[in-house]
Amino acid sequence: MAAITLEKLNKHYGSVYHAVKDVDLAIADKEFVALVGPSGCGKSTTLRMIAGLEDISSGDIRIGGRIVNHLPPRDRDVAMVFQNYALYQHLSVYDNLAFGLRNKKTPEADIRAAIDRAAGMLGLHELLQRKPKQLSGGQQQRVALGRCIVRNPQVFLFDEPLSNLDAKLRAQMRIEIKRLHAEIPTTSVFVTHDQVEAMTLGDRVVIMRDGRIQQIGTPLQVYGKPANKFVAGFIGAPAMNFIDVAVAVSPSGVTSVEAWGIKLTVSDANARALAVRNGDRVIMGVRPEHLMLGDGAPGMGFDAGVEVVEQLGSEILLETLVGNTSITAARVPAETKIARGDQVRLSVQPGRLHFFDPETELPISA
Amino acid sequence: MFGEQQRFVLLLIAPAALLMLLFQVVPIVIGANASFRDWALYNPKKTWVGLDHYHAVISDPAFLYVVLPNTFIFMVVSVAGALVTGLALALLLNRPFPGQKLVQTILLVPLMVAPVVAAIMIRWIFNDQFGIANVVLEAIGLEGQPWLVQRWSAFCIILLTDIWLWTPWFTLLLLSGLQSLPKEPFEAAAIDGTSTWRVFRYLTLPMLRPVIVVCVVIRAIDAFRTFDIVWTLTGGGPGRSTELFSLYAYVLAFLNLDLGRGSAAAIIGGLIILVLGVAMYRLVDRIAKA
Repeated sequence: MAAITLEKLNKHYGSVYHAVKDVDLAIADKEFVALVGPSGCGKSTTLRMIAGLEDISSGDIRIGGRIVNHLPPRDRDVAMVFQNYALYQHLSVYDNLAFGLRNKKTPEADIRAAIDRAAGMLGLHELLQRKPKQLSGGQQQRVALGRCIVRNPQVFLFDEPLSNLDAKLRAQMRIEIKRLHAEIPTTSVFVTHDQVEAMTLGDRVVIMRDGRIQQIGTPLQVYGKPANKFVAGFIGAPAMNFIDVAVAVSPSGVTSVEAWGIKLTVSDANARALAVRNGDRVIMGVRPEHLMLGDGAPGMGFDAGVEVVEQLGSEILLETLVGNTSITAARVPAETKIARGDQVRLSVQPGRLHFFDPETELPISA
Repeated sequence: MFGEQQRFVLLLIAPAALLMLLFQVVPIVIGANASFRDWALYNPKKTWVGLDHYHAVISDPAFLYVVLPNTFIFMVVSVAGALVTGLALALLLNRPFPGQKLVQTILLVPLMVAPVVAAIMIRWIFNDQFGIANVVLEAIGLEGQPWLVQRWSAFCIILLTDIWLWTPWFTLLLLSGLQSLPKEPFEAAAIDGTSTWRVFRYLTLPMLRPVIVVCVVIRAIDAFRTFDIVWTLTGGGPGRSTELFSLYAYVLAFLNLDLGRGSAAAIIGGLIILVLGVAMYRLVDRIAKA
């Protein structure tokens, strides 16, 4: 049983740099939480404070109900996987796995059993006698995972463990970590800058920027109902399109938004929230995957000039220009005959528009 | 014969090559030539004597039973002593504490002292009539010792001086080695709950091994040639009991003015260092690749 609670957690480096600001986060027992954000957003620092590798400036960290603020790492019963594996290079894989248990003077027979179990789970049996240097990156990271598993800790901490792997291995290891968590449900905190990893792995995703939490939610929540423009732009690939538009309410009560001579009708849910802002400028967000080729629903189409065509095989990504704003459209069927310079008709799926206040960047909703 | 580019390359190498030729190769050739002749200042004939000098040196009991053992004992103990103290200091300085920079600077002072100056200081410290060492001993009720006129106490003082002089060099290099080690394995070990000793034994020491080996090889070859502190402290005495190899050659050539035999001794020493050096470099290579 090990829930993790962070309360008003702060980290200052000297008097100038405030890396983590008032972070409040409650992670349930056996939950898998992904911390995601751009470089320097404080996610790794937060993780390292949970591990005890960084002092905290103020606030509280509880693991399993116990305040661990000033406990050294070894007394927190956590295990950590590092970005560059951090294996003990001159020890064999077996000795690497045994290291933590030997620290605790565990009998060799128990160690062998624990390693046998972990090696079975991770497919390490053939590698046990090798040195880390003789392993590929993916194998080394599996050993690092094994080193955590054998200790059977209360909490797993992952510090960008997949960043050093190539794209294919990354996808494989992602599945492996997901499978491991299903087999050994242990409270896990996973730090990454890759929103795909965060979305696929996390039961919940925590998005951070400039040391502050922007949003905490399930992958569907942060994708469907982003808490602000930053989250909307950060989650989802390719990133959401943002267009500066003006709100117009017709005498008959139809709300629409206009930019570059284009007029889109706003659906009911958003219309009510926008109606009070008649004449104001707001930021409209639309995800590339919610733009289709063709006319679509009435009042939802517009013309765009094709700038770049990215053929992915399964689909085409279109980089288009509307007025002086670039708009990316995904999900264009791969067979579509399209070339740079063409004019295409794009339409937005109804109910897929997001609106943000240009000042506060918060969503405009009813 | 050579292309334009090769001529340019040769031109660039030429000054260094010329200097080496003039100041390294030529003296060695002259020395080697001298070692085969009866080359003394009072004997202008420089008679060819073949390997006689070599034979005389390697059958000289003083060389075999005093000078060579002294040299090797000196090399091993001095390098090991400076390595251990240097490593200890480096480990100490590798963790931050108040005044760390100041301590670091003070520890480096011996590096800036000329060995001869250090040796003169030490000689006065251990002077049997006026030295502070005996004053301290007598103050606490012990008997003063004639430190530099007994073989093993004199030898120990030579060793201590050398270790004192060279410890900062080890500290400096090992500290930079320590600071260049990756942090993550140590953090992983901290999370794994590893004791300080196990961290040192299984992480620090193996990771630092390449730096240690290079330091030891460089310093060992250098220690083999030590002259200045021994010459200043004891002059090889009492008798010839603390004589090292370079003193032996120096005395033969420049005090006895037997340049032929002195050169032969120097060349024998050179060959020993060559064999030792090659063997140690092989070792470094193997350890670096391990």
